[in-house]
Amino acid sequence: MREALNLALDEALTEDPATLVFGEDVGRLGGVFRVTEGLQRRHGEHRVFDTPLSEAAIAGMAVGLAMNGRRPVPELQFDGFAYPAMDQIVNQIARMNYRSRGAAPMPITLRIPSFGGIQAPEHHGESLEAAFAHVPGLKVAAPSDAPDAYRLLLQSVRSDDPVVFLEPKARYWDRSPAPAGADSGGDPAVGTARVVRSGRHATLVAWGAMVHRCLQAAEAAAEDGVQLEVVDLRWLKPIDAAGLAESVRRTRRAVVVHEAPLTAGLGGEVSALITEGAFARLAAPVQRVAGFDVVYPAGPLEPQYLPTVDRILSAVQRTFG
Amino acid sequence: MTTSETTFHLPDLGEGLVEATVLEWLVGPGERVERNGPLVEVETTKSAAEIPSPHSGVVARLHAEEGETVAVGAPLVTFEIEEEAAGIVGTVPGEEAPARRRVRLTPPEDEPGS
Repeated sequence: MREALNLALDEALTEDPATLVFGEDVGRLGGVFRVTEGLQRRHGEHRVFDTPLSEAAIAGMAVGLAMNGRRPVPELQFDGFAYPAMDQIVNQIARMNYRSRGAAPMPITLRIPSFGGIQAPEHHGESLEAAFAHVPGLKVAAPSDAPDAYRLLLQSVRSDDPVVFLEPKARYWDRSPAPAGADSGGDPAVGTARVVRSGRHATLVAWGAMVHRCLQAAEAAAEDGVQLEVVDLRWLKPIDAAGLAESVRRTRRAVVVHEAPLTAGLGGEVSALITEGAFARLAAPVQRVAGFDVVYPAGPLEPQYLPTVDRILSAVQRTFG
Repeated sequence: MTTSETTFHLPDLGEGLVEATVLEWLVGPGERVERNGPLVEVETTKSAAEIPSPHSGVVARLHAEEGETVAVGAPLVTFEIEEEAAGIVGTVPGEEAPARRRVRLTPPEDEPGS
């Protein structure tokens, strides 16, 4: 996935001289996960550059640059460190277009390596999607594999709206083939979910690394003669309510899976949208499988915290009655 | 893959100790060592302790002889590490083992998709 993201950033920098990539270690080092490797060499130190270790300053600088006609693609090195930047994100990036009555759009793509699964230290494995999705003015994306990461990132950078782009760290080393290089065109619109596996007994809805986990669950379910459909939400705001309802109207059952704690997580929103859009067809209440309502645990406990195949399958069985 | 050098400095081994003596090197220059593998045994005024390697890589240089006393914060050993591994926080998953499962499913009795 990191190669696909690198390719998308390279193309974005090439196609628009206003595009700038900056953040901690993104320049000379090429990013802590190597996502920005080689970009400074190819596009110069004025367009791809390192910043001080200050997330609030990184986000704030993006606001000023966007107001002056640039297309910033800043990186906040880890999810847990988005909190210090929250004031700039919520009160400036998300509002500036509204506040200026359209005179100052914010074509900012805020890349944040997100979620857990790599046994990192504290503050390095958070799931903030519900917080971002709740802020009016922001779009939120979370890719799950390499080709989609490429597509979604280019869409985000080209968008004149601010996008919070949550990259699942646990999938950076996903070796599924990156796109051939050329922009494939014909991308589905922003806010469109996709069916990554077809099935008829129930729909699993997920995003980020949990899409992969749901595919594992679907593989296991197939051994029991149960065909699970897996929907990758991709855009966490706007959410593809129509696409979700369409899938669930066919399968009649739904399980939402995410890494974030259960309470007030985005799964509640997704569940409500499915209920609103497909209530008459639902054979059972929508189920949620999530992280627990605890501080994100230390590395060795991650396997107990993150949704497992068994927890997903148990939730599926609950929808069967 | 390119490589780069990184130097590990003697950490504070507890409660503000200011130095430690190298008892025995468990690796030598040119040897490959894995992260958390045995690196060196040192002795402080409180105890002897084995320090695990903070990196996976090849030992480029040792900065102290056995029997020599090293100040906390002074260079202890320099590693040559793969560029790709430099700076990563956390453990990047490799090829994943097949997911284990215990829960078995019973398909619903109604005709799905009807």
